[in-house]
Amino acid sequence: MSKNIKISAKNVDVFYGDTHAIKGVDVEIEDKSVTAFIGPSGCGKSTFLRCINRMNDTIDICRVTGDILLEGEDIYAKSIDPVQLRARVGMVFQKPNPFPKSIYDNVAYGPTIHGLAKNKAELDEIVEQSLRRAAIWDEVKDRLHQPGTGLSGGQQQRLCIGRAIATAPEVLLMDEPCSALDPIATAQVEELIDELRASYTVVIVTHSMQQAARVSQKTAFFHLGNVVEYGDTDKIFTNPEDSRTESYITGRIG
Amino acid sequence: MMDQGHIASAFDRDLDAVQALIMKMGGLVETAISDAARALEMRDTELGEQVRQNDKLIDELEEQVASEVARVIAMRSPAAGDLRTVLSVLKISGNLERMGDYAKNLGKRTAVLSEMPAITGTGGALRRMTQLVNLMLKDALDAYIQRDLELAINVRQRDADVDQMYNALFREFLTHMMEDPRNITACMHLHFIAKNVERMGDHVTSICEQVIYLVTGEMPDEDRTKTDRTSTDSTLGKV
Repeated sequence: MSKNIKISAKNVDVFYGDTHAIKGVDVEIEDKSVTAFIGPSGCGKSTFLRCINRMNDTIDICRVTGDILLEGEDIYAKSIDPVQLRARVGMVFQKPNPFPKSIYDNVAYGPTIHGLAKNKAELDEIVEQSLRRAAIWDEVKDRLHQPGTGLSGGQQQRLCIGRAIATAPEVLLMDEPCSALDPIATAQVEELIDELRASYTVVIVTHSMQQAARVSQKTAFFHLGNVVEYGDTDKIFTNPEDSRTESYITGRIG
Repeated sequence: MMDQGHIASAFDRDLDAVQALIMKMGGLVETAISDAARALEMRDTELGEQVRQNDKLIDELEEQVASEVARVIAMRSPAAGDLRTVLSVLKISGNLERMGDYAKNLGKRTAVLSEMPAITGTGGALRRMTQLVNLMLKDALDAYIQRDLELAINVRQRDADVDQMYNALFREFLTHMMEDPRNITACMHLHFIAKNVERMGDHVTSICEQVIYLVTGEMPDEDRTKTDRTSTDSTLGKV
């Protein structure tokens, strides 16, 4: 069974001023699956991830060429509002970054500004569902009005995932979501990612090769701005085609 | 790519160490096979007994390989070629251990056979068959260390010669047993020996398949010609 393609990148180049950060990348990301981007620091994996919800727009010297299609629609087209796009393509960052607000308000913020709830009862429902999907509801349901910053690091990260899914996105981008977490919190987030893939298309950037192997179905190896190899995760980690991929995943090049 | 060392150089030392154990095992098995064959031919029960004793060393090495591999997997999480290396090491050590057991069994039967009248002609044939297997083993281990795909494929094909020699011996034993029923006991022992040497050839073939897997990432297809027909061809029993 061939899966539907959710995101299709064609010949994407990214420049930061004179620096050519991404060089002619072609990647097709499957719907309802987890795709991992791996590669050494500075290889362009985070840059490419940030192209998918136009986070790079906020950087003046950044220039993106080529096509990135979300469900066949060019996300860099003039008609696309980046704020609306980011509601469809949510993002979770390396460091948990809850707003300095209550747990409830952290999750309610997105749906409120996007007008997703008609009344308080609907908003309550969205908050509960989002926190349940983020596998943190049971831990916070009795203290929804306490500050989100008072939670542990792992809980904060799951709160941020809950916040990201509150706007009912189709795609979740995660930029090293576990790098600031301990192994238990990491395992909880990984378990969550595995559950989320039933409802969302997840793209994760990770420096942990083991994490990529554990959570993803497809892996892309970035090196010096190129996608060297892109394929099924089990193939990449047992028998990669390209010698550079092999060298990287076996710890021979950094 | 594989000649480039790991950033963590201790990982290279671990992999080298476990592969050195395989080569040591291989050396002991080669010696066991040639000693066992010589003991049989010369009716040297002392040498046969020595082969039996030395098998303990081979068994110990296999255990050592298994625990080293477990340690490397736990500590280093090997991937891709490294993963195939440790997996193949584990399988090859199993193959070598079985070959050692067959050599030991040959040593055991030497003691029994030396009490019986010799069956003319079969000693030389068994020795040639054993030499063939030993040469295959040596080449298979060379192919392993050199990651030499061509050599591995070549050795794998050569197992057909061993099978053919076994078929010929099978017929010969039948002839001897029909000629004189007093030969039956000795021929039964000799037949077990021949069968065991033929099995050694299969283990060498399996080592070659591990080399092919290690180099290409894929197990070879089952396109090798099978020429041990004794279990399927009833005409082999008609003499």
